[in-house]
Amino acid sequence: MLLPKFDYHEPATLEEALRLLSEMGGNARIIAGGTDLLVRMKLKVEKPSQLISLRKIPGFDAIIRRENHGVTIGPAVTAAELSKNELILDRFTPIALAAGRLGAPVVRNRATIGGNLVNGRPAADLPPACMVLDATLKLKSATTEREISVGEFFRGPGDTTIEPNELLVSIFVETPAPWSGGAYIKLGARKTLEISMVNVAVLLTLQGQQGLIVDAKIALGAVAPTPVRAFAAEDYLIGRQPSAEVFREAGAIGVGMCEPITDHRGSMEYRCLMIETLTSRALNQAYQNALAWKP
Amino acid sequence: MKKTIQLTINGEPVEAAVSTNQTLVQFLRDDLGLTGTKHGCGLGDCGACTVILDGKAVNSCLVLAVQADGGEILTIEGLAENGKLHPLQQAFVDKGAIQCGFCTPGMILSAKALLDEKPNPTELEIRTAISGNLCRCTGYQKIVEAIGEAAEVIRVREES
Repeated sequence: MLLPKFDYHEPATLEEALRLLSEMGGNARIIAGGTDLLVRMKLKVEKPSQLISLRKIPGFDAIIRRENHGVTIGPAVTAAELSKNELILDRFTPIALAAGRLGAPVVRNRATIGGNLVNGRPAADLPPACMVLDATLKLKSATTEREISVGEFFRGPGDTTIEPNELLVSIFVETPAPWSGGAYIKLGARKTLEISMVNVAVLLTLQGQQGLIVDAKIALGAVAPTPVRAFAAEDYLIGRQPSAEVFREAGAIGVGMCEPITDHRGSMEYRCLMIETLTSRALNQAYQNALAWKP
Repeated sequence: MKKTIQLTINGEPVEAAVSTNQTLVQFLRDDLGLTGTKHGCGLGDCGACTVILDGKAVNSCLVLAVQADGGEILTIEGLAENGKLHPLQQAFVDKGAIQCGFCTPGMILSAKALLDEKPNPTELEIRTAISGNLCRCTGYQKIVEAIGEAAEVIRVREES
């Protein structure tokens, strides 16, 4: 399968990349891992005349710990790196777990967090994980700079608030409070190279080892035009003593936040049942991880 | 649009002018004649085109040749040492892990990337490592056994 013709640019600095992007406007696309973009170009879904590669931009593939505070993830960090990084696994668990379920190993070695977010696919793995961790995205153009919460980033299938002249330059995630635990569950017909039928990310924070739930975040993918937070289920959980029964009830409430469709991957009815089951299962796992929290 | 790239392929330095829309698998097969790397689906679903780029197994149909500039690439042709098959290749032969053979180069390179990182993998780790490589003959069981055996051979060889 052949690629259409295009010009290829490899800026060595962020400034140069932003300048190219502003000059070329809608004709240019950013290429990082290329595992989505090159497929769409081969299928002639996209025909950019210019590609701007991020591979030479310094720091874009770095995971930087902000002491006692959080982590800054470069947009070109690969899913493989996120899935194995000890800091991400330990403190930002849903991101590591979701990254480890994206595609297959050969895809994860190229696919990047920036691409997975910016493509805005409703069933993507990393968006729900970033949403439960309240990630902040920094977007830059040649003349502007802004920050946006990932929860406000997605607008519809393949549509985000990023402008054609903007580049996602970093993802910042604050370290969750003590006694937090996270989980991510993806449901598909097979375990790899699969697009989610339903996916759910969860972050649960306890008052202490025996304590009540003080904070809960639940995000679901492939159940609506964008990934969605199950706010009503989160509100229900806060202030309650964690138990299997409470988690089941939260799952039942979570279904109400979703408007899944019927397609070749699964029916609307099946998806609703699975939202309930997987939300409760993910809450149980997050609870176990919260209990195992270490300073 | 053409660009000049310099890279190392199977230990040999290579310099070439490539079209920007040429994928790495096209460059390897059509320009260099390294046809051991297979071109399957072209969309990253089958893994037949797997090569090792800077230590990591990747689908070479989803890497532009220009993106591999400066990189180090290992293809199936670079695996044998001094005319002797690599333990993974030998184990695939011994275990009957090759049927039609189309998936074999990709399977072996995904396995090589795994063993370089984890010399003593569990069966689950082996199955996960080759989960992006499809075998239409469905000979997965023999392939998993062959990778396990190769890991053992390499361990014994390195201990002695």
